[in-house]
Amino acid sequence: MNSAVKENIVQPLFKNNPVFVQLLGICSALAVTTNLNNAFTMTLAVVFVTAFSNVGVSLIRKIIPGSIRMIVEMAIIATLVILVDQILKAFSYNLSKQLSVYVGLIITNCIVMGRAEAFAIKNGPTVSLLDGIGNGLGYGVVLMIVAFFRELFGFGTLFGFTVLKTVNNGGWYVPNGLMVLAPAAFFLIGAMIWVLKTYGKGMQDDE
Amino acid sequence: MKFVRKALDATEKRFFAPGKPFAFLYPLYDAADTFFFTPNAKTSGTCAVRDCVDFKRMMITVVLALLPCALMGMYNVGLQANRLMEAGATAPTDWHGAILNWINGFYPAIFEPSSVIGCFLYGLVYFLPIYIVTMIVGLGWEILFAAINKHEVNEGFFVTGFLFPLIVPATIPLWQVALAISFGVVIGKEIFGGTGRNFMNPALVARAFLFFAYAGQISGDKVWTAVDGVSKATPLSFATQGVDALSAQYSMSSAFFGTIPGSLGETSTLACLIGAAILLLTGVASWRIMASMFVGGMGLAAIFASCPSITEAFPAATLGPQWHFVLGGFAFGMVFMATDPVTAAATKVGQYIYGFLIGALIIVVRAMNPAYPEGAMLVILFGNCVAPLIDYMVVNANIRRRVKRLEAR
Amino acid sequence: MNNESIFKTFGVATGVCVVCAIIVSFSSVALKGLQDQNKLLDKQVNVLKAAGLVKADEKPTKAQADEMFKSAEIVVVDLATGAVVADADPNKVESDKTNVVALTPEQDVAKIKTAPKQAVVYRFNEENGALKTLVLPICGTGLWSRMNGFLSLNADLTTVAGLVFYEHGETPGLGGEISNPKWTEKWNGKTAVDETGAPIVKVVKGTANDAATEVDGISGATLTCNGVNGTIEFWLGPNGYGPYLKTLRGDAPATEAEAPAETSEATEASEN
Repeated sequence: MNSAVKENIVQPLFKNNPVFVQLLGICSALAVTTNLNNAFTMTLAVVFVTAFSNVGVSLIRKIIPGSIRMIVEMAIIATLVILVDQILKAFSYNLSKQLSVYVGLIITNCIVMGRAEAFAIKNGPTVSLLDGIGNGLGYGVVLMIVAFFRELFGFGTLFGFTVLKTVNNGGWYVPNGLMVLAPAAFFLIGAMIWVLKTYGKGMQDDE
Repeated sequence: MKFVRKALDATEKRFFAPGKPFAFLYPLYDAADTFFFTPNAKTSGTCAVRDCVDFKRMMITVVLALLPCALMGMYNVGLQANRLMEAGATAPTDWHGAILNWINGFYPAIFEPSSVIGCFLYGLVYFLPIYIVTMIVGLGWEILFAAINKHEVNEGFFVTGFLFPLIVPATIPLWQVALAISFGVVIGKEIFGGTGRNFMNPALVARAFLFFAYAGQISGDKVWTAVDGVSKATPLSFATQGVDALSAQYSMSSAFFGTIPGSLGETSTLACLIGAAILLLTGVASWRIMASMFVGGMGLAAIFASCPSITEAFPAATLGPQWHFVLGGFAFGMVFMATDPVTAAATKVGQYIYGFLIGALIIVVRAMNPAYPEGAMLVILFGNCVAPLIDYMVVNANIRRRVKRLEAR
Repeated sequence: MNNESIFKTFGVATGVCVVCAIIVSFSSVALKGLQDQNKLLDKQVNVLKAAGLVKADEKPTKAQADEMFKSAEIVVVDLATGAVVADADPNKVESDKTNVVALTPEQDVAKIKTAPKQAVVYRFNEENGALKTLVLPICGTGLWSRMNGFLSLNADLTTVAGLVFYEHGETPGLGGEISNPKWTEKWNGKTAVDETGAPIVKVVKGTANDAATEVDGISGATLTCNGVNGTIEFWLGPNGYGPYLKTLRGDAPATEAEAPAETSEATEASEN
């Protein structure tokens, strides 16, 4: 059990990271990484959805007819996403306002569907839960790293706290507007994949 | 020349030969060597074309063609600043100002709008630091990547490094120059494999980086003139209010000769045309791209200007083709940017399409999007992106036509 | 057992749907109260920020906001006549689809195509019932999209007490600076309208020359600033709150006679 826990949670963080290695979920990584608060909330939301959609799909995996498999998975995921959205609106209104449509768009996050299809449909609920948490966290790690750079260089803040005082607020730092735009996330993710493929152990493509 | 050869050989043996301390920097030595001498390495493949116009000579031609723009640009920086100071603006107070005052000590004409050499020197004080930073930082990256990838440094950067300072405002902070050229060289070129493999023009990538990263400073009104605290918009931002607002501020001839505020080297259409003549006479740039871009841009501008429903909705559309040609980066982009052989379309038919597309799109962006009055840079980058697609279509069409002809037999 | 039979397919589909539907409807019903409260609080806080009662970085709780709102009257105003509509429900006015009037291009300086017929404004009163600050909801089109905000005026109805843009899609770092308190603070105390009631305050390019009626421009965001100017001009002008402000000004000497009547109407309205 212990090794299974480790494998299912740790693998997706780095070696089998859904974003870097499986190249899934990049679309939403662009939108919600302008600051760490958003990225952190999004991480929690995605961990919640992947974990429980995996459990849900895994629980009924033996009775799902093949012809409507995808639709059933979709229904479970959509339900969880609506739940997250409702909870955010009720308990963290400001964040939900900032994340706006992107919470709803977790539905389209390929990681959620991908894990349900690739893992939960074939495995028991416990490992599926771990796999879901691991993949959600793997996605979250990327979000947080990207958001760290984007918030620091784009706004001069971290988690909303001023680190580099910007010129507009009477400081010295000239914020880099490119970091605020979506392409910056592309550049950052690209650069991270580049570094990992070059220096990461066991992460090189087979040649 | 023999003395140079000897010196180079000696340094190679001492420092750069395999096993010597700087062996990893061999590309640096190689660059210096081939700068002075034609390399004597023989082509090892089955096919070798001998021509005295090699890569290096081509690049040098482009640099020569850029010279009129650079000279005119520097003169204009001084002229704009001196005219404003005559009208009461204060001289720059930063380190530029210190240098200017120092020169003023023994050459007072530097603050004289009527003195050609004075204005030129004034501009040089602004241009030279940008150029030096561009070269040092850009070449640094080139050498780094050449050393890691074990290939030689080539001359591509001399063109990029000369183009870039000409398309930025004179007052740009040097750290932004360094950051932008790093982005341009690394993201625009090196990650695709270096010179010849980049699909976008690195100088333009660097300029686009500045545009998006430091938009507040680079598209504001304060950056275009090299004096303190003067808000003077570029003619193109008047253009968004229509042709009347523009011609009230600037005359067509001053826009043609380049005595208007704007980026360092792209204000003078005349200088661009001289450059175009050099490039076309030597056959370095594609006349197809230039011609089709000219036709596409001017044609659409004429259509826009003559169509009342468009000019009503978009005041900038009232500028006729004559204005569009002399303003902003249209001429500069047409002569030096769009024609970059690496990033442009390569097939002959493709080049017509490519040029036409860029020319027409520039006018669309200028006329219809008030947020980006200067569309040339972004549109040429867009053109770069679709150039391979255009070539692919042209080649495929050609294949289909030939297959048909074969079948018809 | 055959998973692929039609009966089983329908069975599983129905089962999943029912379970999902229950979860969704339960969460939606159970959390609705909290969500509505959040929405209201968010709006209240923005109004309070515009009125200068809450600082830009403060986050008051629901109780605090309610407390501060005690001195506020929510008034429904007919924009064309400037009269207070006594029997209108402020909660319904904003969502009422028939409450719009199309603008001609000449009128439409804020580029919003349609304006409401009736609008909800917030009066913050002194203890004796006299007006302290008047908060007016405003909207206009910036460079990219709609900007929503509140403009508040001091009791003299000519100087600006505060400006807040709480919703906009302008470029972060450029036009987006319209929601930076450092910039909106510059509006405080500016003279918004001249003696005739025509709007005169505006954002200029660069630094303001006239400290009374001009606000420093945001560097690199001329078009957003033009949008802000259009917005202010429209909402203080004859098609916006102009008539209402005129009525208020006309009433100013007779405040004591008029105000109580108005207050009771408004309180009634806000209690609905």
